[in-house]
Amino acid sequence: METFARLAHLPPHLFWMIVKVLVAFGLPMTLASLLTWVERRGSAMIQDRIGPNRAAIGPFRVLGLLHVAADGLKSFLKEDLVPPHANKALFWLAPILAFVPAMLGFAIIPFGQSFTQGGVTYHLSLLDPGNGMGMLLPLALGAVAVYGVLTAAWSSNNKWSILGGMRISAQMVSYEIAMSLAVLAVFMRAGGYDPHEIIANQFGAWNLCAQPLGFLVFVACMFAETNRLPFDFAEGESEIVAGYLTEFGSMKFALMYLSEYVHLITASALITTLYLGGWRVPMVPDPGPWLSIAAFLTKVVFVAWVFVWVRWTLPRFRYDQLMKAGWKLMLPLALLNLLLSAGWMLVHRAA
Amino acid sequence: MAVIVKQVELSWLDRTYLWPILKGMAITFRHFLKQLFTPTSKRFTIQYPEMKKELPQGYRGLHELKRHEDGSIKCVACFMCAEACPARCITIQAEEFGDLETTQGFQEKRPLVFQIDMLRCIFCGYCEEACPKDAIWLRSDYEISAYDRASMLFGKWDLMNTYAAVDGKARITEDPTPAVPHPPVES
Repeated sequence: METFARLAHLPPHLFWMIVKVLVAFGLPMTLASLLTWVERRGSAMIQDRIGPNRAAIGPFRVLGLLHVAADGLKSFLKEDLVPPHANKALFWLAPILAFVPAMLGFAIIPFGQSFTQGGVTYHLSLLDPGNGMGMLLPLALGAVAVYGVLTAAWSSNNKWSILGGMRISAQMVSYEIAMSLAVLAVFMRAGGYDPHEIIANQFGAWNLCAQPLGFLVFVACMFAETNRLPFDFAEGESEIVAGYLTEFGSMKFALMYLSEYVHLITASALITTLYLGGWRVPMVPDPGPWLSIAAFLTKVVFVAWVFVWVRWTLPRFRYDQLMKAGWKLMLPLALLNLLLSAGWMLVHRAA
Repeated sequence: MAVIVKQVELSWLDRTYLWPILKGMAITFRHFLKQLFTPTSKRFTIQYPEMKKELPQGYRGLHELKRHEDGSIKCVACFMCAEACPARCITIQAEEFGDLETTQGFQEKRPLVFQIDMLRCIFCGYCEEACPKDAIWLRSDYEISAYDRASMLFGKWDLMNTYAAVDGKARITEDPTPAVPHPPVES
């Protein structure tokens, strides 16, 4: 590590920080754009279709992966239209407000095991442990993500946008409570809210095994937070056109769309860290940086695939069913999970 | 008529909502794997320019004007097809011909112009049914397109040669028997 740093004429900790920033920015972006491909081809395969496979450079089609590049290029070349009755400043701000919190959530996630080299410990998360924020950061940012959606809906000055924005903000806010309560049980088990502590605590048994109920509640809430089916109330062609995205076009739309997928990647990373043991490899107590990064990526990609898989399996809920499930089912279940794990800890400590 | 709606009694396992989800996901995943490991040639999707659908017998595609063995057109310019055509896309202009040396007169009729506007044609096959001589056939070619409207007007020689390559016949551009020169129009 120090050799690389010397080659770049930078002190080792600064060099390491730059590498981490690049990774923490590049990884979700890359995975998100790949996920658009996975979603299209995967859904096609699930529905016995083939999916987009025609974009090509010369004779090379590369399994339709070039559609991702073609889409990006297309959205850059499209007319950047701001509707005349929209609130222009907010309309410009909305994609940024949607995109930035989605990206920031990844900063806290450790994507590999910390390692020591030359007497210096290198942590594989953008924010080192002991920063005082821990897993509260992604939870807080999840709450901020509502503002992106709301700003987009309000600034469009369109009744469908506002209806979609209203639905989605109500949904996100009500599911946030159950989500936070589910996470609270994890914090209690780990005795702290730092992701490094939480992963260290999952040695032997993942939180999935220790708190299956909490896992279910958290995953369901993550589906609601990322606006994925069966909770995709932001859109609805037959009712509210494209919801809060109705008036958006060109790169603004692409950014909103991409932020949804980045959000999805962050959600997968959160599920991985909180419940699937983060970078831990089963049966290997000390995997080392490379194997741990591979394990983390595998888990994140798998969870992201589950998001896609569920989307093409389940029909959506009705809006009242959604709210009912959020308040009358998820919240009591999260509370029950909290009680159970508290009771378990009490018994465990007494014994 | 009263319809008795069957009330399905859900088991407690089905009422958890979680177990049916897992069952559904198993179904979709089975489809995913099946489709993933099916070779392209055996999938339902026909990848059009590379693969083509096998057309059923009696498909009504591009028309052909049939010819006799000597290369003369079967059509006798009776206008039945043009009458039958609901889209009014057939234009025929008749001319007379015959072996003038033996018959000393005008005895046969054939189209001088036989034009089908492919943009108007609805490929209903009524012309084929109306034809008393089996001279017009709708056959298997469905790739009829052009960059301008004029090219979509198929004339007599286009129509006589539409399936020449498929049937292994020679392309012809001339009737074996010359037409009778029209008598000068008396004014």
